[in-house]
Amino acid sequence: MNKMKLKDMFQWQTISGDPTMVGDVTVTPQSQALTIRWPYGGLVWNRPTAVLVERDEQTERIPIVDVTRMAQLGLLGLGLVFSVVIFLISAQHRRERNE
Amino acid sequence: MSDQFDEFVVTTVKNQQQAAEMVEKLFAVAQPGAVYSEPVTVGKNTVITAAEVKVGMGFGYGAGFGSSAELDEDEAAGAEEPKDEEEGMGYGGGGGGVSGGRPIAVINIRPEGVEVEPIVDITKVMLAFFTTLGSMFFMLGKMRKAARR
Repeated sequence: MNKMKLKDMFQWQTISGDPTMVGDVTVTPQSQALTIRWPYGGLVWNRPTAVLVERDEQTERIPIVDVTRMAQLGLLGLGLVFSVVIFLISAQHRRERNE
Repeated sequence: MSDQFDEFVVTTVKNQQQAAEMVEKLFAVAQPGAVYSEPVTVGKNTVITAAEVKVGMGFGYGAGFGSSAELDEDEAAGAEEPKDEEEGMGYGGGGGGVSGGRPIAVINIRPEGVEVEPIVDITKVMLAFFTTLGSMFFMLGKMRKAARR
């Protein structure tokens, strides 16, 4: 197997798909793909990011929000913040008791 | 041995080529066509679904050669009659992969305009919610226990 360059191993790119025409509206989907290659395999994570809507010579970008992922990350953040707060409170209690 | 070795090389090269071709096919998933469906038109509405796609794959090979003369060199040195030299080889390979997809949104193209409606996976959200809630109660319990000491 040839030696791979780092640029070939990791790729993070935004790609536009084929435009779809419906009446006077042209919709172009966009996606973001993370590609990791190694000599004996690879990994691809592709997610939709936005659609470009062209109408009357005006282009509008409508983002695609992953609500499930946002909720999961929000809950994870909440759990982490809660853990840090609990840790700080218990550390303070311990310090007060020792004094 | 030579014929076996030739066969081994040919088979290995062929297998590696096949595996490399399969990995190249994997990278087709990086195209937007993999995450957006074909548009479906019903009446005046056209719908395109958008999904997140994850694919991973890996493979590996291994081979070994050996002869009884090399292996039993120490034992053979003390033996009166030389043993028949036996040679052998072995090779193997394996691979594995994972793939998954999850719908994220529906793009609704109507005469009035284009709308992106998100798809919420309530099962995943509830699982994350109860896991967070559980860890919060666990932390609180630990803190109370520590405060009592």
